[in-house]
Amino acid sequence: MTEPKPPSDPSWFEKPRNINLMIGVLVLVCVALVLADLFYENPHPHFPKWENVLGFQAWFGFIAFVIIVFLGRLLRVIVRRPEDYYDR
Amino acid sequence: MIDNIPPGLIMILGALLLPFLAHRAQAIGVLVLSLISMVVFWFTPESTFGQIELFGMTLEAIRIDRLSRLFGIVFHIAAIVSAIYALHVRDTRQHVAGIVYAGAAIGACCAGDLMTLFVYWELTALSSVFLVWASDNAQAYKAGMRYLIIQVASGVLLLSGAIMRFVETGSLEFTSLVTEGEPLSASAFLILFAFGIKCAFPLLHNWLQDSYPQATVSGTVFLSAFTTKLAVYSLIRGFAGFEPLIWIGCAMTLFPIVFAVIENDLRRVLAYSLNNQLGFMVVGIGIGTELAINGTVAHAFCHIIYKSLLFMSMGAVLFRVGTVKATELGGLHKSMPLTTIFCIIGAGAISGFPLLSGFISKSMIISAAAEEHQFWVWFVLLIASAGVMEHSGIKIPFFAFFAHDSGKRVKEAPANMLVAMAIAAFLCIALGVAYPVLYRMLPHPEIDYHPYTVTHVVTQLQLLMFAALAFVFLMKSGLYPAEQRATNLDTDWVYRRAVPAVISATRSIGRVLDRSLRDDGLVILKGFLSTANRNFNDKGVLGGTWSTSTMTFWATILLAICLVLYYL
Repeated sequence: MTEPKPPSDPSWFEKPRNINLMIGVLVLVCVALVLADLFYENPHPHFPKWENVLGFQAWFGFIAFVIIVFLGRLLRVIVRRPEDYYDR
Repeated sequence: MIDNIPPGLIMILGALLLPFLAHRAQAIGVLVLSLISMVVFWFTPESTFGQIELFGMTLEAIRIDRLSRLFGIVFHIAAIVSAIYALHVRDTRQHVAGIVYAGAAIGACCAGDLMTLFVYWELTALSSVFLVWASDNAQAYKAGMRYLIIQVASGVLLLSGAIMRFVETGSLEFTSLVTEGEPLSASAFLILFAFGIKCAFPLLHNWLQDSYPQATVSGTVFLSAFTTKLAVYSLIRGFAGFEPLIWIGCAMTLFPIVFAVIENDLRRVLAYSLNNQLGFMVVGIGIGTELAINGTVAHAFCHIIYKSLLFMSMGAVLFRVGTVKATELGGLHKSMPLTTIFCIIGAGAISGFPLLSGFISKSMIISAAAEEHQFWVWFVLLIASAGVMEHSGIKIPFFAFFAHDSGKRVKEAPANMLVAMAIAAFLCIALGVAYPVLYRMLPHPEIDYHPYTVTHVVTQLQLLMFAALAFVFLMKSGLYPAEQRATNLDTDWVYRRAVPAVISATRSIGRVLDRSLRDDGLVILKGFLSTANRNFNDKGVLGGTWSTSTMTFWATILLAICLVLYYL
């Protein structure tokens, strides 16, 4: 069985130019957020050793996200079964 | 008069009239009953009433204080939104089950004693299972059965705990079951276990991912609001400040994230995400400071709304497309633009974007952990926040509405669904902006907490935006795991596969042992019989006749022995 071809009516969100534009904006926002750290002072950090590092939550978020996704790939190796596993 | 109507009773009794209405009117009946109940509840003053003497026990059937009031209100909101969402449904079962379920949950959070709590507790289980069965297929029937068994088991544990507590203390009042510096009593442990099942503690969690995605489109919206949050309410009431809950909660925030990454059924992803959000609340209950309890209640309030919004958007997709498998969706933003927008608002709220409801509630729990200098708890909750961004913030909207175009062109969701989603989306934004309204209603209004500090907004945005950046990076480099059609094993494997396998293996080993024992017995018996037969027949050693001389010889010997013995 061949899948019916998707209709070719790309929306604004699907045009490669706009996708690159969105990624560009995201990168700019990210850079701005890290730089923002230079312009304010955390009035009372609870864990100064961590919280006073430049862009702590930025790289923390990035690394945590990547680790979670890789753990997911690892988990899939263990728990993945065919879709009708319980119905057989 | 008005202040003597037990909360929820209007909905439960009103449900009995619904079957007599025309099919078209039933849905409207549910909505009207919920609205009336909401108004009555709003004007019921804070008090304790409905005292009943029963077999020497004093029951305080109804207790309305700040805590139960807030849960009652949000349960009513959920019931009204779900009723609007289900206006197009023409199925008596679902309407009756839905409103009885909502009414029972409202009654339960206003129960003053453990026995009343138990009655409502079981009623939520018995009514809600019909929302799963109403899908009318074999899978849903079996999942509903498992759900019912587990929920009723939770009720039975609660009942046993309540009885033991009555024997120990002579009171059934539902107050804190934890005494500082002392280990939990056996009765409190049973009750904790009962709450833990309904709250989907780790290893007791899987009924949730098993049953919710099997329920009907509108049934799941009802389900997502009540059962688990009733458990959260009960935990706050009974176990606030019970420290092991912190670590249980931490585990609950982490492991569902990893399952959500690889799950293909988007309603199951939402069920895992629900589990993860409950973890935040359980952590808050475990910390138990005033700020933490405020945070937990606020988070439960916001969570009920944004989670039903997310379930509603996926329900709309299921209703129009017929599936919520990520592998078969994509590109739906072109044909369901409004649903897409509502889903993104829900996703933003659950991830905790500033100006949306998750931001003002989750941060309170995280701050409470930081203020107690619980470094690892704080650390885990930050990881969990990045995880929420992964599964609910990005995965749900991205794979359903964007990603690669599946070519599916469907109609936008029905008007009533859009209205329900719009109300929930509006509330997500309203709670995020006008947060003081909610904060004033929390159990400890004197706590002064400001979510919108520069530090907080910037750091939270850093976390979320860099998580999004990580997603882009993983997608572009092809490292993000592709969606695959699969069943992922979880703890339900134990009772769906392992236990039945062990039982049938034990049975067949038993059968083999039994057969071989009986065969061996028969062989031994046959051998014995043939030996006896051989020796006792007329030619055998013992059965044959002996000659007279031999007999005389042996008799003489015998006599001689006797004689010798006699004279010795």
